[in-house]
Amino acid sequence: MNAFAGSQNYVLDDELSKIVNISMSLEMPLLLKGEPGTGKTMLAHAVADSLSMDLIVLNVKSNMKLIEALYQYDTLTRLNDSRFGDSARDVSDINEYIRMGKIGQAFVTEKRCVLLIDEIDKAETEFQDDMLDVLDQMEFDILETDERVRAKHRPVIIITSNAKKDLSDPFLGRCNFHHIAFPEPKMMRKIIHAHFEDISDILAKNAIDTFYELRTIEGVEKKPATRELLNWIRALQADPDFKSGKLLAKEIPYLGVLFKKSGDYQRATGTLVKTGFFR
Amino acid sequence: MFIQFFYTLKEVGIPVSPTSFLIFHNAMEKGLVRSVEDFYYTARTVLIKSEKYFDLYDQVFAHIFQGTALPERSEEELDLMAMGMLDEWLKNPKELAASLGIDEDKMNKLSPEELLDYFKERLKEQEGRHDGGSKWIGTGGTSPVGHSGYHPGGMRVGGVSGGKTAIKVAGERRYKDYSIDAPLTRAALGEALKRLRNLVPQGAKDQIDVDGSIYQTMKNGGEIELVFERSVVDRLKVILAIDNGGWSMEPHVEVVQTLFSYALAQFKDLKTYYFHNTIYDLLWEDPARYRKPVPLDTLVRKDPDTRLIIVGDASMAPYELMSTDGSIYAFERSGSPSIERLRFLAKTFPHSVWLNPVGRRSWGYTRTIEVIRTIFPMYELSLDGLEQAVARLMQK
Repeated sequence: MNAFAGSQNYVLDDELSKIVNISMSLEMPLLLKGEPGTGKTMLAHAVADSLSMDLIVLNVKSNMKLIEALYQYDTLTRLNDSRFGDSARDVSDINEYIRMGKIGQAFVTEKRCVLLIDEIDKAETEFQDDMLDVLDQMEFDILETDERVRAKHRPVIIITSNAKKDLSDPFLGRCNFHHIAFPEPKMMRKIIHAHFEDISDILAKNAIDTFYELRTIEGVEKKPATRELLNWIRALQADPDFKSGKLLAKEIPYLGVLFKKSGDYQRATGTLVKTGFFR
Repeated sequence: MFIQFFYTLKEVGIPVSPTSFLIFHNAMEKGLVRSVEDFYYTARTVLIKSEKYFDLYDQVFAHIFQGTALPERSEEELDLMAMGMLDEWLKNPKELAASLGIDEDKMNKLSPEELLDYFKERLKEQEGRHDGGSKWIGTGGTSPVGHSGYHPGGMRVGGVSGGKTAIKVAGERRYKDYSIDAPLTRAALGEALKRLRNLVPQGAKDQIDVDGSIYQTMKNGGEIELVFERSVVDRLKVILAIDNGGWSMEPHVEVVQTLFSYALAQFKDLKTYYFHNTIYDLLWEDPARYRKPVPLDTLVRKDPDTRLIIVGDASMAPYELMSTDGSIYAFERSGSPSIERLRFLAKTFPHSVWLNPVGRRSWGYTRTIEVIRTIFPMYELSLDGLEQAVARLMQK
C-alpha cells in the first residue's frame, strides 16, 4: 500500500504521518481534533493529493439527517416528469431519481477515495452514531428500491471536530484519535516556507514573533490561527512598506486580517495601545 | 502481550476498552509496529480517545518502558481529597466523626472552610504509611477512610483501588475542569455559544405542503400543482434578568453577559435587567441597581413570545421570597410577596427558564431553590444545562 508522506503545501510532522498511515492500514476512520486553523481539513486534501485519490467532502450541518449524506430520492423531479412526460428519464424506474449523497458517492466510486467528514461536532449525537454504523458496515439500504449499496472500496476516512467536548463513547470506540496541537514557532516557520518560497528571513521571523505575541492577548473570542497568519503575510508582502519586514517591529498593520470579530479587533487594538506595543 | 501496559492505563484512570486493545494487537500483527516510537504512536492513536489523557498516557508509557516512577499526588490533589471528605461529612457526619475519633458536636461547630483545613491537616500528617492497621488512613485496614479497605461505607483516599467497597474515590476528580457539568467559565464560552445557536425560530423550511398541493391539484382538474410552504422567519426577542447582588453571583455575571452579547446578532432584541436575590416590583437597567428602575408591570407590554432567561442562585432567606414585605430594600415593599411576582413573570412569558450557577446536586439543600423550581424550569449554568434550557425555550 502507498504510504502518505506529506505534500507540497502541507508540512507534516512525523507523528501525524505515522498516525495517518496506521489508520489507513487498520482501515479505521481517523478522528482529528484541534483548534480551528491548525490544518485539520487541509490534511485530508494533502492525503488525497499525495496518494492521487479523489477527495469527497461532506460538510456536516447542524440540522443534517444521515439520509442526506447517503442518498436522496428526488420526488419532485419524478412528479414533474410524470406530469409533462417530456424528459429522457424513465418515470417508472425509481433508480433514475435516486441521487447519491457524499457518503453514497464515496461508496460507489470506482477508485478508492478519501472521504472527509468535516466538523462532525455540529451534528446531533444520533447522526454521529448512525453514521459510524454505516461507515463500520460499509453498506446502507435504499428504502425506496429495497437495494443495498455496498462500498466497492473502503474509502480513507478522515473526520474533523472542533469541539472541546468529547464525542460519544461508541463513536470514539470506532475511530482512531489524534489531536493536532497548535504548531510551535519552529514548525510555523516551516509551514510559512512551504507556502511562501521566497519570503525574506526578517519578514518571516518578525511576522511569527508578532503573531505569537498577539495570540497571548486575553479575552479574545477567536484567536488568530495558521490560516490568518498566512493571509496576513500575504497582505504584508503586497505592501511595499512592509515587504522587507523591518517595519514590523514598530507597527502592526492589517490587524483586521488576524482578528475577524469586531469585538476581538477592538480588544486587540486596545491592548496594543495599552501595553505600548507600538515601540 | 503488553497486558500490564493496558491495565496500568486503566488504573491511572484512562478509559481504555478491550476492543481497542484488540485493534492495537491487530495493528502489531500487520507489522505496523517496528520500533518503540511506532509503538508509542500506534497505541496512543488507537487506545486514547481524548487529548486530555495524552499527558497521563505519556507518564504511563515512561513508567512501563523506562521505569520512571508514576507521579505522586500533589498539593492540589490533596485539596481535592479534602473536598471529597467534606462532601462525605455533609452526607454522613456521624460515621466520619466516629472513624476520625473526634466529637461530632465539635465538628459541627466548624465552618466548611475550617473543616476543609482540618481534613487537609489530617491528610498531611499522614506522611508515613500504615498498612493493615486500624489507623484512619492506610491500606487494607478496617477504617472507613483509606483505601483497599473493606469498610462498606468507606471512602477511598488515593492509591489504587483494591475492592469496590469505596463509595467515593476522592482522588479521581482531577479532570473536573473539563467536565460538561462544571460551571460555565470564560474558557468554555465558545462551546456555550454553540448551544445558544439553537435559540432561533423554527421555520425556513422549503417543504412541500401536501394538503395544499392536493387541494390545488384537484382545483386544476388533475393537473399537478405544487404548493410549498415557507414559514415566516422572525428573530427572537430575549429578556435576560441577572442577579448581580452578592459575592456568590459575582464570577458568573460577566460570563453570562459576554455570552449573550456575543450571541446578540441572532436575536431581534436583547434586554438585560438586574436584580438582587429575587424580583419584587422593580428591575434595574443599570448594574448598580440605582439609576434606571423599570417597573415590573411594564413588562406586560412586551411580546408574550419573548424568551425570559433569569440567571441567579435563587438562594436567600425564605422570608425574602414569601413575606409580603420581604425585600431587603425598604422602598421596594409594595405588598405583594416576591413569589407572586415570579409567578406573574412566568405567566406573562410562557417561554422562560431559570439558570442557576449552583450545582444541581445542592439544590435540595436550599428551600428557596426548591420553591422557585416550582415556578420556573430550572437548569444548571453549565454547558449541559444551557443545552437543555435552550431546548426548553424553543418548545412550542
